[in-house]
Amino acid sequence: MLSRTAENLFWSARYIERADSLARLLEVGYRISLIPNTESGYINEWESILETSGIKDLYLKKYNKISKEKIIFFLLFDSENPSSITNCIKNARENIRMVRTAVTLEVWNAVNSSYHDLEINITQTKNVLKELPEIIEWVKKQVNLIRGTILNTQLINDGYDFLILGTYFERADFTARIINVKYFILLPSVNYVGSEVDNFQWSMMLRSISSFRAFKWAYGEEEINYIKIIDFLILNMTCPRSLIFSIEKINHHLDRLTKFYKQNSLAKSKVKLMYNKFKKLNADTISDLGLHEFLKSFIIDIDLIYRELEKKYFFGINQ
Amino acid sequence: MYNEIYKNSKIRKPYNKIFDWAKSLPENVIVKKKNEAESLFKKIGITFSVYNNFNSTERLIPFDMFPRIISGTEWKKIEKGIVQRAIAINAFLNDIYHSGDIIKAGLIPDYLIYKNPSYEVKMIGFKVPKRVYSPIIGSDLVRIDEKSFKILEDNCRTPSGVSYMIENREIMMRMFPELFEKLKIETVENYPTYLLETLKSLVPKRCESDPKIVILTPGAFNSAYYEHSFLADLMGVELVQGNDLFVDENVTYMKTTKGPEKVDIIYRRIDDQFIDPISFDSSSLIGVPGLFDSYKSGHVNICSAPGAGVADDKAIYTFMPEIVKFYLGEEPILENVKTWKCYRYQDRKYVLENLQKLVVKEVHGSGGYGLMIGSQATKKELQLFKKKIIEFPENYIAQPILSLSTVPIFSKNDLSPRHVDLRPFCLVSAKQTKLVSGGLTRVALKKDSLVVNSSQGGGVKDTWVINE
Repeated sequence: MLSRTAENLFWSARYIERADSLARLLEVGYRISLIPNTESGYINEWESILETSGIKDLYLKKYNKISKEKIIFFLLFDSENPSSITNCIKNARENIRMVRTAVTLEVWNAVNSSYHDLEINITQTKNVLKELPEIIEWVKKQVNLIRGTILNTQLINDGYDFLILGTYFERADFTARIINVKYFILLPSVNYVGSEVDNFQWSMMLRSISSFRAFKWAYGEEEINYIKIIDFLILNMTCPRSLIFSIEKINHHLDRLTKFYKQNSLAKSKVKLMYNKFKKLNADTISDLGLHEFLKSFIIDIDLIYRELEKKYFFGINQ
Repeated sequence: MYNEIYKNSKIRKPYNKIFDWAKSLPENVIVKKKNEAESLFKKIGITFSVYNNFNSTERLIPFDMFPRIISGTEWKKIEKGIVQRAIAINAFLNDIYHSGDIIKAGLIPDYLIYKNPSYEVKMIGFKVPKRVYSPIIGSDLVRIDEKSFKILEDNCRTPSGVSYMIENREIMMRMFPELFEKLKIETVENYPTYLLETLKSLVPKRCESDPKIVILTPGAFNSAYYEHSFLADLMGVELVQGNDLFVDENVTYMKTTKGPEKVDIIYRRIDDQFIDPISFDSSSLIGVPGLFDSYKSGHVNICSAPGAGVADDKAIYTFMPEIVKFYLGEEPILENVKTWKCYRYQDRKYVLENLQKLVVKEVHGSGGYGLMIGSQATKKELQLFKKKIIEFPENYIAQPILSLSTVPIFSKNDLSPRHVDLRPFCLVSAKQTKLVSGGLTRVALKKDSLVVNSSQGGGVKDTWVINE
């Protein structure tokens, strides 16, 4: 397969995943803004949303101050924000369009019509705050449709591996970043433990990655505590948003590629090491190591693995 | 003005059945089918892109569902004529980049060739694989009366439109399957297979194994990008951009997930000057540095060959009858449109005296640039062209204002005649020269308009060759 084709497939899936993550973040922001008496709370929330998506500076440069309408617009539609949902969908489509023949007609149609519907959405939206729930629903639906079409219609060949890899590199990075932005609320604090504030913050965090209900299912009605949350978001193999889940997928698909091409790759050996390490970890160890440090080095490591993958498959030269 | 469906105010035989069918359609069926067809085109993505900021509007080429029909007998003559011309064109190109016999024989003035902007000096003396310079030729034909199709121009570089020929047929078959059961319509679906065979036969000198073929596109922003990806898909070859390829020690490779893979044959859909920034236009970002050297050292073939465009230049066009006779010793089967060469005294005199009755064309212009239609020109324009012709006679040719034949289109719930032309696509391989039975019919949708270009309100029709 052409290196550029692999790269386009990878990035189209990555942008689709990013649009999905942003939609979920916005959903939390919206929820919080509906809760009375959290004036400063929601400001913080919107700020951390900007931080998680790594565009706080860009936003402040354009708008100077935190305002929820502006942030929502910035995250949804602003073409000057490279990570706005609009740009994510647009980029996903451009990437697919470049390799139009590497995906099935159904996948192309799903991405293409999302893009065309988005244009209509943008022109018809009058009040972003009021219409936010519908827009978020729409984004999530489109993403699920595209992903379902990929699962149902694509050949399970190397192109499929690159699509899936794009999804999970983005997800691993995103989950790590969202926990990292919020890591302070996961710290055990005498003042907070078991308090209302704690429960509220934790549930919001779980919601932001759509795992609130899942957490309840996984851990029953026991009391929520930060160790359980760390366990759930980082080490629980049944949680599709946990770090280990993404690592396992990346490991699996890089493994498939090395077998498919009959060539080893550094990316593969590195992710395998990481996966084995994660399997042996437990939440208490992470807490002892320091959650913040742990996440920081994870974000660097996963990026290094991506660099290896890029070098191996996207540059098209022998190593 | 010749209306293709009538003969002595009766419907001509090839159109008999289709005319009855069109007349018997219940009202609004065509409107409905038209919407259906358009949404199909959009879904498949057969569009021309026009980009402005966020809003990329993707335009459809208007498609008319009344087919253009050519009888089997008529087609046989067209086919023979096109094949003859394609062989002659390649022989001509081979000659002018080698010994130049046709110039020595005094049939074409040397400056028309050697000073032609499309003549590529770097190609002199180079033996192109299998002596095929231009493997894909799209000549535009016009019909003047019942008897004669004439050639208006040849396209020897990278003619486009073949994807419409194939997709128009697909759509017609989906819309009106009953017609295809009743009538014996020749298929066009083999084109991609033939194209692949053709390219495959043109192996460069240093290619030992099964040749690796790619299509080279300028990229997704090119207006014909759909066609490039369509052909790549149907032939099962990679669609590459310049930066997907690189040259190392004169060997051309493409970058793949398995590492570099040697490329042997490139069907390029980019212009000569952009192929290689080292050998040609150094500002080209879509080319491949070193590709031309790789080509000249016999490691890769570039189709069509750089410099092949000189054969479709309008100045050379006027010599096509002589070219056919010189290389094949045969009379041309398809005639040129009558053309006056302004550098000849007698011709020039006639042109200057009859400007209002003529179309004057600049010889190196294309796409409607540098063209004056005498009957529609203002006094000022006429004066300007007069001056230009006197000053640089060798830069101009003139042709009569042609009345292209008409074929009906569905207009509201009725039929209404519109002017058409025809572009068949001829393939020249190492072993044979052939074309599928069909082509692209372009139609001027505006009443009385003679301009069939899609950029100026032209549409397309499915073209049927029917064997009686």
